Amino acid sequence: MINTASVLLDGVSYGMLLFLFSIGLSITLGLMRFVNLAHGAFAMIGGYVTVSLVNLLGVPFLLTLPAAFAVSGVVGFVLERVVIHRVYREPELQQVLFSIGLAFAASALATIVFGPQQQPIALPSWLAQRISLLGVPVGASRVFLIGVAAVAAVLLVLLFNRTLFGARIRAAVDNRRAAEGIGVRVGRLFAVTFALGAAMAGLGGALAVDSLGLDPTMPFKYLIPVLMVVVIGGPGSIPGSLVASLVLGVVDTMFKYAVPDVGPFVVYALLVGMLLAFPRGLAAIRA
Amino acid sequence: MTAALESRNLAVRYGHFSAVGGVDLAIAPGARHALIGPNGAGKTTLVHALTGNVAATAGSVHLDGEDITHLAQPARVRKGLARTFQINQLFRSQTVLENVLLAVFERQRATRAFWRSATGDRRAIAEAREHIALVNLASLADQPVHRLAYGQQRMVEIAIALATRPRVLILDEPAAGVPTTESAVIFERLEALPREMTLIFVEHDMNLVFRFAERITVLVAGKVLTEGTPAEISADERVREVYLGRRGHHAA
Repeated sequence: MINTASVLLDGVSYGMLLFLFSIGLSITLGLMRFVNLAHGAFAMIGGYVTVSLVNLLGVPFLLTLPAAFAVSGVVGFVLERVVIHRVYREPELQQVLFSIGLAFAASALATIVFGPQQQPIALPSWLAQRISLLGVPVGASRVFLIGVAAVAAVLLVLLFNRTLFGARIRAAVDNRRAAEGIGVRVGRLFAVTFALGAAMAGLGGALAVDSLGLDPTMPFKYLIPVLMVVVIGGPGSIPGSLVASLVLGVVDTMFKYAVPDVGPFVVYALLVGMLLAFPRGLAAIRA
Repeated sequence: MTAALESRNLAVRYGHFSAVGGVDLAIAPGARHALIGPNGAGKTTLVHALTGNVAATAGSVHLDGEDITHLAQPARVRKGLARTFQINQLFRSQTVLENVLLAVFERQRATRAFWRSATGDRRAIAEAREHIALVNLASLADQPVHRLAYGQQRMVEIAIALATRPRVLILDEPAAGVPTTESAVIFERLEALPREMTLIFVEHDMNLVFRFAERITVLVAGKVLTEGTPAEISADERVREVYLGRRGHHAA
């Protein structure tokens, strides 16, 4: 029973990481119709920022999280303004080829700079300890991770649904021409949105170093589950992505523990089943 | 006097096809100026080039004497050059009020922070309601725009354009797709706009043009054929030939 609870917590924390990894991709796909297979590279950037700051400069882990968020966001913004915005008008195949190339380049660059090995990270003692949650002993880092991701998710929903920034984004997606007609600089707005998605992935990458590890294959290792989240959750839907991430994370972790031989394949069966039942994703159910 | 909106030798070419071929326009402040011409004369392309929806191949555009040729459309909107489209461009899932409110917010952008609530600003809401009242839609302000009749949607688009506080407003066929009985209503609302606002409109219905325009520019094959008062235009033999043609004479 205790074991089940801790596996469940592992699943939720993995799901939260998937959410942070995928939300930017979901937003750029839903809003700009851009298939960005290089999105995982932003998670990798965030991971390396945290690892470098902690291991080389001795910066406290907690302070590296905003740094990972900011650096990934800035890289995302610059990349969008310099190259990626040119690809929006291209057909999907061009976008896929371009972005997968970008992912390979990022991976190769990471290998040159940091080497091919796994990056170790020493968490501060308050995160490395086990704490008791309702009588169940759990890793403090898991609880912390879930908390941070949950706060990020709530802030993101508020930003998109309640603020002027969100209203502008929704307007630009609804009718780009009309948005420009009232003076919205849609190009710059999309760059900021793209950067926000990259920053979320960077935060996820930084939080993931401890539980998922970090090496130059990062942009590819979680590409499949991330794409599954986007497909199941429905592109552009924040709540859809959150639910899909959590379901995927919990199911995957549960089956890997329970039946290690077939566990890893269960999520694919889940994907097929979901697509047969709801071809347009969870977000389309309510609509 | 500096023209409110001016184009000098403005041209838009697509490959070898010249849609607009060197147009000189000078629209006086406060004008009620119509652009007319047969189908394919380049009226809409000219409007696009004036407002920045398409890039000019050659020539320049000046707003109150300032060269705006190289500004993108959103930048021109902020300088006071707004437009409406031939086909409604609205945020269809939102209410009339939200549509207009967004334009009010966008204009105030410099003084506001992005995290501000989009629906909690009473002064902005009051202003948006004024624009809506001006186009006679006050009772429908809280309806989603897709529920409105087409002619009412056209009025919403005008209210949105007004919310950008334009000095120059270009209307591309403001009454297109609207029954004739309602199209005069739209023009009557336009006529009631402040006199200092410069209005330029493209319109096919000659009765409306001669009733509301104070000056008329006739475009043929991407070039200005002539410009003048409604009386001059209707008396012009060339205009009658290429444009009014066999449809007979339309008195002012």
